Parts: sequence; structure tokens; C-alpha cells
Amino acid sequence: MEYFQFLIIIIFAPLVNGIIKKFKANMQGRQGPGIFQPYYDLIRLFKKELVISNISSWIFRVTPYIVFSSTLVATMMVPVITDKVLFGNMADIIALIYILALGRFFMALAGLDAGTAFGGEGSSREMTVAILVEPAMMLSLFTAAISAGSTNLSNIVNSSASLYTPSHILALSAFIVAIIAETGRIPVDNPDTHLELTMIHEGMLLEYSGRHLALMEWAHYIKQMLLFTIAIDIFFPVGIASSTDIASLATSTAIYLLKIVFIAFMMAFIESTRAKMRFFQLPSLLGGAFVLALLSLLSYVIMGK
Amino acid sequence: MKEWIQTYSLIDFLSMGILLTTIAMNALKRLESCIKAYTYNSWLLSMLIAAVAIVAEDNHLYLASLITLFSKGIVIPLFLKRIVRRMKVTHDVEPYISNTLSLTISGLLVGVVYVALKKGIFVAGFSSMALQISIAVMLIGLFIMITRRKAITQVLGLLFMENGLFLIGFSLTYGMPAIIELGVLFDMLMGVIILGIFTIQIKRAFASTDLDKLSILKG
Repeated sequence: MEYFQFLIIIIFAPLVNGIIKKFKANMQGRQGPGIFQPYYDLIRLFKKELVISNISSWIFRVTPYIVFSSTLVATMMVPVITDKVLFGNMADIIALIYILALGRFFMALAGLDAGTAFGGEGSSREMTVAILVEPAMMLSLFTAAISAGSTNLSNIVNSSASLYTPSHILALSAFIVAIIAETGRIPVDNPDTHLELTMIHEGMLLEYSGRHLALMEWAHYIKQMLLFTIAIDIFFPVGIASSTDIASLATSTAIYLLKIVFIAFMMAFIESTRAKMRFFQLPSLLGGAFVLALLSLLSYVIMGK
Repeated sequence: MKEWIQTYSLIDFLSMGILLTTIAMNALKRLESCIKAYTYNSWLLSMLIAAVAIVAEDNHLYLASLITLFSKGIVIPLFLKRIVRRMKVTHDVEPYISNTLSLTISGLLVGVVYVALKKGIFVAGFSSMALQISIAVMLIGLFIMITRRKAITQVLGLLFMENGLFLIGFSLTYGMPAIIELGVLFDMLMGVIILGIFTIQIKRAFASTDLDKLSILKG
């Protein structure tokens, strides 16, 4: 039973995006699309035909499957409602981050492969952001890993008792900035528009259509919910089930979904209250996140708090 | 209340907050938000003193906490805000080094302090973190003073340094006698007022608060 928990992420990921959109619309005084709209979009895209540029190579065709399957593998490493995971001892946070990086690498290649200016622009920006985000994300995860004495996600979840120290607050704030950058949300990228001058993630997907686009979008939703889940696992794992009977699984599912909705609300709040930053100001924000993560690691290692 | 503060190590969190608001000063560009960072810094300092007062059951510390809140948390920020509004400047000009670099350097400063104090003097004070953090705050304040061009941001650097110094003294001695604290605070207040007046004079004479212009000879 616990081995199918990754299906929760895969099934609910578009819904989470719909919820964020709905929260955002309500905060801006609009009615907004319904929360199931991402599902309708995905179904419609799966039915449409593919349009592939003549000059693109096999990389362009194979990328959606690589992106989707690498994200899928990453979800199997993450404890969602129980502390046991499908991959057991292989569920390592370093492996997880770099499996996600594999998908990103191919996405950037595909952006270049189609040969349009916007694709190359998107790839270049995405890789710049990735370089800046990765140290912040790794260091904040390392703080949790050191305090748990293991880089295995289920061990980190189990050692939740020691996770209330100043350095974890710092790591959490760095991780939130990293999530915002990774999911392409507002201070970094605008998920709602395809404005040529500012887009990062959309730029790389511009040439995709039909089921390829659907897979890429779905993978993006899954990645977003996956990162939320990692934040929950590491920083507030309260309520996660350690046994596998139906009652405890049901309660932990309910608690998990509540936490996800809360994070979605926070994301919508940040998106509604902030303005998008200029691209060349991003190093300042992400450098700040890096410094926070560094400080959290330093104070944990040196002072033990 | 006392047990609650100790079990949740509230003092550590407050000192970490003081450090964070100081580091945030490096990343902020608008003068008003810099002043806000200082205000939060002083409020956290005052809360920290109150928390120590509860733990140590020392009544004179409540007074110190109130004085800090009143002078550093209310009077000085209001005064600085008035100056900023009178000068009609909202943005700090680019500091000598970029924001990212100054953030990184202040992070490194904290690291240096942590490492330097790891095997140095050990003070069995109220918190294992407060001394390290206070020295780091002082160094970052000094760093802000060195790297900023505007008079107001340099004053803010001085104020951060003073908060750090206060915390150093406090974490080593559980607070100096009230009369000394009052004297220091009064000094500070006067200093800020004089510097504020200077700033306005500089602005009047040079039409800018950029301190580099002071080195231009006037004939």
C-alpha cells in the first residue's frame, strides 16, 4: 500500500496548480478558472496532433519522455503519506536533486534544438537560474541531512524531533526561495504569461505541442508538488504515518493534503504581493538564499543548533 | 513562561533574528526598508533582553528592554524616517560593491566569527549563540559603514554596530548597570540627531548625500 504513495503526487499535481491559480485569482478579485482546469488542459493537449519542426533532431522528440520519467523516478523517492518509500535505501536527497537536474538538462537541450531564438533564450536563462539555485537548495537540504545523520529521506522524516532549531528556520527560508525559483513562480518567472522578454520556463516549451507539451506541463506540475512535499517532509513532517493500516494512512493523507493546500496558499500569496524581478536582479535574491543556507549549515555544524 | 523560553530556546531564535535583520540590510536598496530592518533589529533586541529578564529573574533588565524599545525601536527610526522624507531621497545609490557580493561577504564574516570563537573564550552566558551573533552583527555593521556611499546608510551601519556592541556587553555581563545603559543610549540618540542634522546640511550644500562629494575641494 505504501508503495503506491507516489501516485498521490502524480494524480493531484495538476489539481495543486489549479488551486494556486484559484487562490491567486481570488486574491486579485477575479473569479478565475476552476480548480480542475489543468486536467481539462492536459486531456485536450493529449488529444491534439503533434507539430514538430523539420530541423529538430531526435533530442527534441525524446525530451518530453525523459523529463516526465525522470520526474516520475524522483517522486518514487519521496515519502508522501508514510515514512517508507518505494526506493528504500536509494531514496537519497542528492540523487533526487540530480535526477531532477537530468530532466532540466534535456529540457534546456530541447529548447536549443528547435532552433528558435526564444528557446535558446529560455534555455540560457533556465541554466543561469539553475546554477544559482542549486547551492542554496543543496546546502539547506544538507542542514536537514546532517541533523538527521543521513541523506536518506525516510531517515530524515523519522528524525523530525530534533528539527526545531534556528538553523532549520534559516534552511527553510532558503528552501522556500529555491522552490519559488525552481517552479518558476513570480519573483523569478511568471507562470501565467508567454511574454517573450521575460519568460524562462515557457520559452523552452514554446515549440512543443500536443502530447509532448502535455507531458512537459504535467512533469512541471509534478515537480512543483514534489518540491512542496520535500519541504513538508523535511521541515514539518508532523502527522506522517509510520504504520500502514488504513486508519493511520487516511489521517496522514488528510494532514498531508491540508499542508499542501497551505503551501499553495502561501505561494499564491507571495505571487500576488510581489512584483517580478528583473532578470539581472535575480542573483541578489538567490545569493541571499545561498547565504541563508550557508549560515544555517554553519550554525548547525559549528554550534550544534 | 520561564520553562517555555528555555525549552523552545527562544533566545537563540531571537539572536538569529537579529543576525538576519542585519544581513538583510545588505540586500535592501530602498532607504525606508533599510530603516525598517533596523527597527525590527531593535525590536528583536528588546525582546531578547525581556526574554533574558524572564529567565534570569532580573527586574532591572525589564527597564533596559523598555528603554531599548523606546529609543532604538521607536524614536530613532521615526527620526531617520523624517530625515529621509525631508530629503526626498528614496533609493540608495549603488554601494561600492554589488548587493550579491556584500551578502556573500557578510555571510563569510559570520562564518569567520563562528570559527574564531569555536575554541576561543567560552562564556557560560544565557545562550551559546548570542556572543557569536553579536560580534558578527558588529562586524557587518562596520562593513555596511565601509561599503555605502550615503550618509543615512552609514548612520544605519553605525546603529547596527551599536546594537551588536550592546548585545556583546549584554551576553557577557547580563546587562550593565542601568545608569551606564542610559548614558550610552543618550549618547546614541544625540549622535543620531547630530548626524541627521549633518546629513541635511550636506544635502543642502552639495545637493546630494553622497559622501564622496565631501572630498571635492571647494574654492
